[in-house]
Amino acid sequence: MLLEAHAVSKSFGDFFAVRDANLSVGEGEIVGLIGPNGAGKSTFFNCLAGDAVPTSGKIIFDGQDMTKAPPEAHARLGIGRTFQVPATFEGMSVIDNVMVGAFLRHPHQGDARDHASRIIELTGLKAQMDLAAHSLGTPGRKRLEIARVLATNPRLMLLDESLAGLTPTELQEAIRLVRKIHEMGITIVIVEHIMEVIMTLAGRVLAFNQGHVIASGRPEDVVKDEAVIEAYLGRGSHRVRRRSA
Amino acid sequence: MNKIPALSPTVLLAVALLIYPLIFSGAFYLDVGVTFLLAAISASAWNIVGGYAGQVSVGHAMFFGLGAYAPLLCYKLYGWTPMAGIPFGIAASVALAILIGIPTFRLTGHYFSMATIAVAELIRIYFGTWDLVGAAIGLQGPATARGWWDLTFRSELPYYYIFLTVLAVLLSFTYLMERHRFGYYLRAIKVGERAARSLGVPVQQTKIRALVLSAMFTSVAGSLYSVKTGFIDPESGFGILVSVQMVIIAALGGAGRLYGPLIGALILIPLQTATNTWFGGGGTGLTFIVYGGIIVLIARYEPGGIYDLWEQISPRRWRRKHAS
Repeated sequence: MLLEAHAVSKSFGDFFAVRDANLSVGEGEIVGLIGPNGAGKSTFFNCLAGDAVPTSGKIIFDGQDMTKAPPEAHARLGIGRTFQVPATFEGMSVIDNVMVGAFLRHPHQGDARDHASRIIELTGLKAQMDLAAHSLGTPGRKRLEIARVLATNPRLMLLDESLAGLTPTELQEAIRLVRKIHEMGITIVIVEHIMEVIMTLAGRVLAFNQGHVIASGRPEDVVKDEAVIEAYLGRGSHRVRRRSA
Repeated sequence: MNKIPALSPTVLLAVALLIYPLIFSGAFYLDVGVTFLLAAISASAWNIVGGYAGQVSVGHAMFFGLGAYAPLLCYKLYGWTPMAGIPFGIAASVALAILIGIPTFRLTGHYFSMATIAVAELIRIYFGTWDLVGAAIGLQGPATARGWWDLTFRSELPYYYIFLTVLAVLLSFTYLMERHRFGYYLRAIKVGERAARSLGVPVQQTKIRALVLSAMFTSVAGSLYSVKTGFIDPESGFGILVSVQMVIIAALGGAGRLYGPLIGALILIPLQTATNTWFGGGGTGLTFIVYGGIIVLIARYEPGGIYDLWEQISPRRWRRKHAS
């Protein structure tokens, strides 16, 4: 297993945002995390990325204990992440943004620039290469975030709603990009609200509700799961459906 | 072919600074020139950590003061040439930078700024009661030069060219830094620390390195000041005005820009000299008012300083924007 989370919990005071979550991701998989707002998937995701330290439990990446490792150690070992709200370096140009990522494996400026240019071509940002990051729209900035992470040569990529807020055409392009990244041999864990994305991309899905993993398995099975439907639509949704029928 | 237009402002600037003393050879103009160079050096040194890395220190006088005291202390204690004290000033500043950086860079928000003010003030007060460094009276350098190595000249001209050389070295260093991985990391930290960390940028270590480099050059600026004036006291070394001046000059010109501090000093120093000359002793208070006014104007209208303003209105930029 490339990434394993054992009984990971994260609490803020008395409140458990994540409780006893387990996850194992094999090399080359695409795993989706779904669940309604506030279900704990983002907190769990931040634990995986090293942005939050779990209150208890263990996270193992490629045989190494990453539970308490800081984000920069995750990047060094090959775990890259994107942010729900794009956190591009606004004043810097697109190529400079990607170079910050490229510097991780290419300390010299020339090498970093070459590597960044290749990544920019791959992610379809070539036309905007010299523009400032803030002049890109949301789709562009989300793409830039992916490019920046890709430049660090990750083995595992954590995508936090990187495909949210896109138009249908942009969405198709983004799905193609994620597929391309997957074909490069990069394992992907993706948090997503859009079912279409999860159904087309993920081979396996974990559903969260109120901090717990309530279902896991193939996406087509998970979306039919009673507990999952209840989590999304609320308790008693069966009764409502029956009544309206 | 492409490089020449980009280089020409630099060449023009260098030529202008080189021939300034030949054109304005009067003692008053030379003094303004030297003051300008020193302000530009201090603000450019501040710019490394405050501008590029966005870690706004309002206590850089602590490094300036240590750099200023070291040469005159060496002279007082051992009768050495003040020059010999410069490395000691640098060493003390580096140690202090590390000592401050380690705890405060773990905090976010304005804690770093506040901590730097506090430390600079503590040192100022302590030096004011410490007999070894002359307490409130301060220290003096050699009254007359025992040789050229004392760097005690009657004319301001040698100081002008020494300061200009130091400024050139500092700006060349900054220019190279901008193009190095370190410079990219600083800019990334400034706009998005969390994102930078997620890309493997060792944020804490990079910030400390920036502070250390900045402290080294600020210390040299302090040494140049005390060697030139031959006198230092707690207020002129560690006073809050010393720190604030660096921040204002850099912010006015453009923080995090190579020539930002230079532009800032080019405006503020003549302005300050003018108010001091017109209003005499009352001009000192006026300096504070001018500083306050500048802070308000920058914060309200142009946080990027004059450099950004120029980029917005410059015709070349305009043309490029409309061509694409």
